[in-house]
Amino acid sequence: MDFSVVVEYFPRLLEGAWVSVQLVALSVVLGALVALPIALARISQNWWIKGFPYAYIFFFRGTPLLVQIFLVYYGASQFDVVRESILWPILREPYWCAIIAFTLNTSAYTAEIFRGAIQAIPEGEVEACKVVGMTKAQMYRRVLLPRAFGIVLPAYGNEIILMLKGSALASTITILDLTGMARTIIARTYTPIEIFLAAGGIYLVISMVIIAIFRQVEKRQNRYLGTVSIKVPDKG
Amino acid sequence: MSKAPALELIDIHKTFTDVEVLKGISLKAYDGDVISILGSSGSGKSTFLRCINLLENPTKGEIIFNGESLKLASSGRDLAAADMKQLTKMRQQIGFVFQSFNLWPHMTVLQNVMEGPAHVLKRPKQEVMDYAEHLLNKVGIADKKHMYPNQLSGGQQQRVAIARTLAMDPQVILFDEPTSALDPELVGEVLGVMRKLAEEGRTMLIVTHEMSFAKEVSSEVVFLHKGVVEEKGTPDKVFNSPDSERCRAFLSSTY
Ligand SMILES: Nc1ncnc2c1ncn2[C@@H]1O[C@H](COP(=O)(O)OP(=O)(O)O)[C@@H](O)[C@H]1O
Ligand SMILES: [Mg+2]
Repeated sequence: MDFSVVVEYFPRLLEGAWVSVQLVALSVVLGALVALPIALARISQNWWIKGFPYAYIFFFRGTPLLVQIFLVYYGASQFDVVRESILWPILREPYWCAIIAFTLNTSAYTAEIFRGAIQAIPEGEVEACKVVGMTKAQMYRRVLLPRAFGIVLPAYGNEIILMLKGSALASTITILDLTGMARTIIARTYTPIEIFLAAGGIYLVISMVIIAIFRQVEKRQNRYLGTVSIKVPDKG
Repeated sequence: MSKAPALELIDIHKTFTDVEVLKGISLKAYDGDVISILGSSGSGKSTFLRCINLLENPTKGEIIFNGESLKLASSGRDLAAADMKQLTKMRQQIGFVFQSFNLWPHMTVLQNVMEGPAHVLKRPKQEVMDYAEHLLNKVGIADKKHMYPNQLSGGQQQRVAIARTLAMDPQVILFDEPTSALDPELVGEVLGVMRKLAEEGRTMLIVTHEMSFAKEVSSEVVFLHKGVVEEKGTPDKVFNSPDSERCRAFLSSTY
């Protein structure tokens, strides 16, 4: 084995890693924004309101991410409306196709995480909102969402790590993310073991940084919450 | 005495799946009344209290607050609020203290007390803060105002919950077994606060198992049994010479 190639190509691998981080960061932020209304609609008692998010979540969780990427990348160009729209310059870029696919995919998982967190808030705390005469909107803004934020953190951190690993699929549509870059280097140097080991190491470091950040935020956020256990309100 | 009751409940029924838990309960509370509601576990005390501000939708009945009847509409088998605005308005004026405190754990004690007046009633921040501090002082928790609920004992949490309720300046306060979740040595501090409120002339409906407290502070005592008012009257009447045999048995077993 010859690890001098790793030293030589390390800057290129870091370039690829930076693209991976961008893909993940952009899609989890956008994904969370998309997830919030979907989660709220999913909680609704009304079938007309929860029907769409139900199907949306079912589709994106039930099909492979790779298929979703291909659908956006190859599928979008099939439609004249898309090719003629002002969005075409964006939709034709593999980079943005990957972000769109990742965003849609992670939003489905994140919506379920949000829903779980909101529904895990003890019923008594919700009733405490009702008895002071809060409207639904006030209840969500002032109590349920801030409260859910603390509950959501561990699962959400986990979803970001999954997204990081899934982002390697971006390399299948010509993006030079960490995996894509590694494959390009290997095509030139024929040293797959060394380069993939190095790429794997970089993925690990990024994961560890994400975990560390979430641990910190969680510790701060849940400092005074005790254990966020799911308590059943008593019916004395 | 032509003054209308502050709160009037007429013929409240509640059926859960196939069990009729409340079988027609009526009650009037005038300003300054302290009404204790007694009864064994499962007799429907909580359900009745929760029907008053629609935490539970009654199956039948009428709720009149300050002479204004709460608009209800059929929703399945039950009656639900027909006018959410009216309901939230009414809830703002009727306090509710839970057995399990239900403070918001992500907010400090002070924030818990300020939340309602500041964000629901939208009163000026400084005024709300001063009043919240005054109330925390009154319930003896002023030194804990920057702590979080989970850092407090049960008795302290319940006193904060009472301050949170008072911060809304409610016209009537409903208490659902406020001391039942507390260790015995912490019960006294909460009852002390409630006794003070009774002396101030607050209108209160109190579900409780604290018999000597009920006897001492109540203007009226109601004994519920299997969803009906089995006995009702002055504390002296109910505790010393109840008509109902069941009431007598209940009192001798617990008091
Ligand atoms: N949400 C509910 N669903 C079904 N049954 C309930 C519910 N809440 C209370 N009950 C039943 O109604 C009866 C009265 O309960 P409750 O009002 O809590 O009594 P109390 O407060 O006097 O102990 C009990 O038999 C209880 O099991
Ligand atoms: Mg009860």
